[in-house]
Amino acid sequence: MTAMTTADPGAARVRRRPSRAGARRGRGTPWLYLLPAAAVLVPLFGYPIYMLGLLSFFDYRQAQVSGGEPTRFIGFGNYAALVADERFWAVLAQTVVFAAALVVATLAVGAFLAVVLTRAGRVPRLLLSLAAMAAWAAPAMTGSTVWMFLFDTDLGLVNQVLGIEGFNWFYGKWTAFALVGATVVWHSFPFVMVTLYAGMQAIPASVLEAAALDGASAYQSFRRVVVPILRPLITIVVIQSIIWDFKIFTQIYVMTNGGGIAGQNSVLNVYAYQTAFGSSEYGLGSAIGVVMTLILLAVTLFYIRALRRTGEEL
Amino acid sequence: MTAIPATGPSLSKRARGLLPYLGIAACALWCLAPFYWMVISAFRRPQDQFDNTVVPVRWSLENFTAVFSGGNAFGRALLNSLVVAGTTTLLTLLVGVVTAYALARLSFPFKNAVLGIIIATTMFPGVSQLVPLLKLFTGIGWINTYQAMVVPSLGFALPLSVWLLTTFFRQLPFELEQAAMVDGCTRGQAFRRIIVPLAAPGVFTTAIITFIAAWNEYLIALSMVNEKDMQTATVAISKFTGISGFDQPFGTQMAAGVIVTVPLVIVVLIFQRRIVAGLTAGGVK
Repeated sequence: MTAMTTADPGAARVRRRPSRAGARRGRGTPWLYLLPAAAVLVPLFGYPIYMLGLLSFFDYRQAQVSGGEPTRFIGFGNYAALVADERFWAVLAQTVVFAAALVVATLAVGAFLAVVLTRAGRVPRLLLSLAAMAAWAAPAMTGSTVWMFLFDTDLGLVNQVLGIEGFNWFYGKWTAFALVGATVVWHSFPFVMVTLYAGMQAIPASVLEAAALDGASAYQSFRRVVVPILRPLITIVVIQSIIWDFKIFTQIYVMTNGGGIAGQNSVLNVYAYQTAFGSSEYGLGSAIGVVMTLILLAVTLFYIRALRRTGEEL
Repeated sequence: MTAIPATGPSLSKRARGLLPYLGIAACALWCLAPFYWMVISAFRRPQDQFDNTVVPVRWSLENFTAVFSGGNAFGRALLNSLVVAGTTTLLTLLVGVVTAYALARLSFPFKNAVLGIIIATTMFPGVSQLVPLLKLFTGIGWINTYQAMVVPSLGFALPLSVWLLTTFFRQLPFELEQAAMVDGCTRGQAFRRIIVPLAAPGVFTTAIITFIAAWNEYLIALSMVNEKDMQTATVAISKFTGISGFDQPFGTQMAAGVIVTVPLVIVVLIFQRRIVAGLTAGGVK
């Protein structure tokens, strides 16, 4: 049963020992394998992270870009401005709530459909795969446009069917968030579904048969057999969903026209973009970017630590 | 179908059997309806664009002709997208497999820390990456080149690919690799002949995820390229001006959306069935 998992680190280490003879040839060999990835990631992220961090400590606006005023080091000035900014706190709060709702919805739909996919017959499975792939493969901009058209105030199909022509979904803060949320989940659940489905395909049928023979119901065998084996993949889709949903940009920007009426539907990434490029407050925009990255790091570390406590490794 | 007479235990069994189908129906409607609307809108005549009939009153290919009309250069854009997304996927898999192999199968210090740092790079907001990269690529003369789009896409896709591949490689039993090495394979051969084929579903899943992400990438492609001949399909769609040049080119956008999405869906479905078939025929299960 444990053949498919390396959940028991002790056993894995014992098994791995004979292969150490091969690794003796060069101690640096494992690091050699990591070289290509480092060659890609270090310049692509190292330099921008350095620039972002640096800019966030400077008074850097339109005047400085054009050379009209000297660039001035202001220490934590931008961060102090953010902390004092009520709007920043409001946007931060709604970003966190919106992202959390998106993560839960995406995972619930994705996991449910992955299970359905393993049990459905050929035709429903094909239909479901088709639907999921179409939602996934459609560019975010095209997808957002279709959803906006379906829910259009006067011409949209949904309002026509419901008989509420003239109702503007983007007028209310919560209806707008709900609609954008439905679009985002539509775009992102296929990733969860496909990943978990691939993981389930790798579970030997004998394991599930054994569980069934022992009298486990479908739910029990899912909860007690499938979920533990899939834990590493679940960790990936959870963390990845948190990261993507917290950084949501395109759908909000396109569907609510840059954050909705008076910015009521703004999220941090849109706010950072508008601060940096809209108002040319590059220093302040960088500070928002740094805060976003730090929040994501903190959330992810917290999640990984919680996993560690239950005996899982990354 | 719903009015099945109660016949003891088979009823609850049948009801439970129906549940997934209800779920599928609800979800299929939710995912298919927008897609269906996209296809149907693409086939309407531009003057019928806002008819809400379930099937076009008059079918027309006018929107598709508009997509490929001279001003839009969409054929070239599709080719560019294919080159960028294809190259990105190949490179990501190559680098990702090597990295994931080291992380999953070799033992060395700070292994989890390395994986952690790789994952952490995805937390960086892409918008903040734009300006530094633009400066960098301008400096080395990469503006309006394929590599200016491929390299950032590779960077975006790599962390998730490494993580997924590491997990898939870890799932495979170590005995298989060792047996191969006992039989005289080198470590490299054991990896190529045993691990990669067995991890095929994982590698394939990673390839789809990477390809779709690269195919739909917009921000970098928009910023790094200002020549029409080099722009990708997503950028081209956002720049459509409509048939008359002023109207909101909804129909044209939908037709382009269909052209961009449908081939991808078909290819993925064909491959997916192959992979699943190959898997059940294989010896691991």
